[in-house]
Amino acid sequence: MEINIRRLSKNYYSEDKTIAALANVDLNIPANRIFTLLGPSGCGKTTLLRCIVGLEIPDAGEIAIGDEIVFSTEKGIYVPSEKRGLGMVFQTYAIWPHMNVFDNVAYPLQTRNEPKEEIRRKVKKTLHFVQLDGFENRPATKLSGGQQQRVALARALVAEPKVILFDEPLSNLDAKLREETRKELRSFLTKLKITAVYVTHDRIEALSLSDTVAVMKSGRIVEIGTPWEIYFDSDRRFVADFIGRANFVEGKVVTVEEPYTMIDSAIGAIACEKKSGASPGKAVTVCIRPEFIRVLKGDHTDGRNIFRGRVESLVFVGDAYEGEIRVGETLLIFRIEPTTAVREGEEIALRFDPRHCSILLN
Amino acid sequence: MQKTRTALTPGLIIIVGFLTVCPVFMLILGSFSEGLGAFGSFTLSKYVKAYTDPAFADILANTVIFTIGSAAVATVLALFLAYLNTRTNIPFKFLFRIISLIPMMVPHILFAVSWVLLLNPSNGMINLFLRQVFGLGGAALSIYTLKGMILVEGLLDLPIAYLVIAPAMSAFDVSLEESSKVCGASNLHTLFRVTLPILRPAILAAMTLVIVRSLASFAVPSVIGMPGRIYVLATHIYRIVATGYATDYGLAAAVGMSALAASITLIFLYRHLTREGEKYVTISSRGYRPTAIDLKGARFPLFGIVALLSFVLIVLPVAVLFYTSLVPYSMVPSAKAFAMMSWKHWIAVLKDPISLLSLRNSLYLGVGGATLGMILSFFVAYVIVKIRSKASGFLESLSFLSFSFPGIVVGIGFMWFFVQTPLYATIWALLIGYIATYLPYGIRPLTSAFVQIHSNLEESSRVCGGGPLYTMRRIVIPLLIPGIVSGWILMATMFVRELSLSVVLSRPGTEVLAVQILRFAEDGLWGRLSALGILMIFISTTLVIIASRIGAKLTKVDK
Repeated sequence: MEINIRRLSKNYYSEDKTIAALANVDLNIPANRIFTLLGPSGCGKTTLLRCIVGLEIPDAGEIAIGDEIVFSTEKGIYVPSEKRGLGMVFQTYAIWPHMNVFDNVAYPLQTRNEPKEEIRRKVKKTLHFVQLDGFENRPATKLSGGQQQRVALARALVAEPKVILFDEPLSNLDAKLREETRKELRSFLTKLKITAVYVTHDRIEALSLSDTVAVMKSGRIVEIGTPWEIYFDSDRRFVADFIGRANFVEGKVVTVEEPYTMIDSAIGAIACEKKSGASPGKAVTVCIRPEFIRVLKGDHTDGRNIFRGRVESLVFVGDAYEGEIRVGETLLIFRIEPTTAVREGEEIALRFDPRHCSILLN
Repeated sequence: MQKTRTALTPGLIIIVGFLTVCPVFMLILGSFSEGLGAFGSFTLSKYVKAYTDPAFADILANTVIFTIGSAAVATVLALFLAYLNTRTNIPFKFLFRIISLIPMMVPHILFAVSWVLLLNPSNGMINLFLRQVFGLGGAALSIYTLKGMILVEGLLDLPIAYLVIAPAMSAFDVSLEESSKVCGASNLHTLFRVTLPILRPAILAAMTLVIVRSLASFAVPSVIGMPGRIYVLATHIYRIVATGYATDYGLAAAVGMSALAASITLIFLYRHLTREGEKYVTISSRGYRPTAIDLKGARFPLFGIVALLSFVLIVLPVAVLFYTSLVPYSMVPSAKAFAMMSWKHWIAVLKDPISLLSLRNSLYLGVGGATLGMILSFFVAYVIVKIRSKASGFLESLSFLSFSFPGIVVGIGFMWFFVQTPLYATIWALLIGYIATYLPYGIRPLTSAFVQIHSNLEESSRVCGGGPLYTMRRIVIPLLIPGIVSGWILMATMFVRELSLSVVLSRPGTEVLAVQILRFAEDGLWGRLSALGILMIFISTTLVIIASRIGAKLTKVDK
């Protein structure tokens, strides 16, 4: 089911200061996809999620889930959480400690007064789906973090909600378990064909889990796109910076000729294949991700985007070398295969593919 | 939800405001009035009479010595116990937990009575013993002195002081002490130069709290002070309204004003001090447990002192009462005494209609009052913890204000109120007064229980389709059961033994246990008093056991 949000705003007041948690947010969340709200802490992503689910009351705007308007200041509509028919997984899981697994999962059905047999059947089916068969009588407090997370998921799914919402559900798991659970969650959600709204500040989570990512900053949505588009084709520096490590080189557009836009920068002329709509003379920033910087063997001097620099630092991180190269006055971070023979202090040639140089408008 | 929430806070402010402000307001009005019958006719004469009374200076001096003395006794003992428990390798540490819990077990009036039975100058058991064995003429020791009052009150307030000091002591950063020792100071030197100065806020807070409690104390001053003609503010007020031919509630209100003012000032001081104390404590590092100081040879002698204290606080009063309830008159335990034992006093009490009435009234007030009190406390705690607004902060201050009120003063204030209503001389008057005075005892455990319920637990119930009431019933209340049970137990046991408020509000027909026990004490009917006292302890203990059983059953997870 589709979610439509129009001109939603919400302010917080603390010590005479007004903080806009949401500033006129317009957003369309497509049906049956995994949609992620990504942003640094305090950007308003959790507030937006809580407004959708009805735990937070916006100051103004409208929210529609499917055809039903659940909140509107103009029309004076506020449907409370319990009447919205959604499922949600909380950051703390919010597993009720005084109940066993069965009662936790059965709860949404019990609130709807479904017949006992029906409840038993659905709970069994859902627990099977999240691979917790036979856990019905286990007290909820006697579960591991990963199991609690699955109980929370089962509880959110059991009543077959129109939309399921996730508020940083993996942030309380340790790194290894987080990775596994992420994959599991992806496969669960893909099987279900359900609209999922997922809030996180973890870019890897956002990229690997979502069909669509919306990046938020100070109560606004900065950019929406597929993980691929957000990572490679963002035209905003905040997004490019937030979504991954990157080098930013300031420059000026010299010529725009198919297929390259030529940019004059502190390290020299850079050719970029990406379109940006920038006209000659315009000040821009070129974004180059460290994994796309290649170290060249031998004396390469001709070809596009080849620069010479000195390796300033080099750190072995296991699956790669990470380090910094000084080109002129500019320091570039790079990441290369661990088998590459490079030493600190060495003068080397480097190249970056014009296809992976994106132009950010200032 | 929003609507019910917004209606809840002002509604509670009105109820709690009535309960806490009404007695104060009526006390002030009453102190300027001619008398109960002439309410509202303004006069200053009561103040003039109250504070120009030549005896008043003595009463004030007694009060100051009594409260500060008790605070000193309680705090020194508490420091001693807390230090031994948290910092040394003293054996049988479970005893310390018991010592910190006894105020629930033995009602203050019975504790004071048991000391009278042991040490009163005419036939106290210890005095009889000294007379028989050493042939001492007259009374060797008398409890009916200011010193006696201080000792008994100090022992009674020891648990309160301990509960303030022990957490501060265990949260204390031991590296501060260790650095002193590295500098070459001895254990004792370190104790006095480092440990005690750092604990100063906690020590002062404990003292302040005990002063407030002993100022409000009525059991010890009435049972021990009055026979020795030693009056403090509480008993002075009592004398004005309860004895003699001309009771004067205006005069009592005028005297009560100074007790109330002192209490409120002290409780603000206490809150200030505990805030200061937290500042000190939060500096400390957490989790690191130092090696306990080895007491070596002093280990068992020091334990002996602790064991003696526990004996004096817990076993002795009950043993003395039980013994006294069985012997015909006061005598030293001997073969002869055991031969003369009978159930005579018990039978007399169980045939005495007023004693039976007081048993019934106290039981009703304990069960009904604690239940109503917890319902009110539940909503107040909910608003204080879950709705963080200016109004809820106001409600919090309001509900904790009554903590400082001396019972007898609140009683006088309520008296002025109830006389204008049909509630006068009914059990409802006592019920309202009890809840007003002891509301903090119900709110305290509930707020700490509420704080532990993460808001997500409620929110997830809402998202799952549970409305506000459904969420309350299935999530909030079950999670609060431990807090509700301990609050209920506290309130119920307080109500069963309540004395200082009841001596003012209790009228013929609404007698309660503690008042009846006080009557027996005044008449010197020690045998009946002891029998009724044991029944009182039995009722309290039964209520505690039943409530904890129900609580344990309700919190069991799996069916």
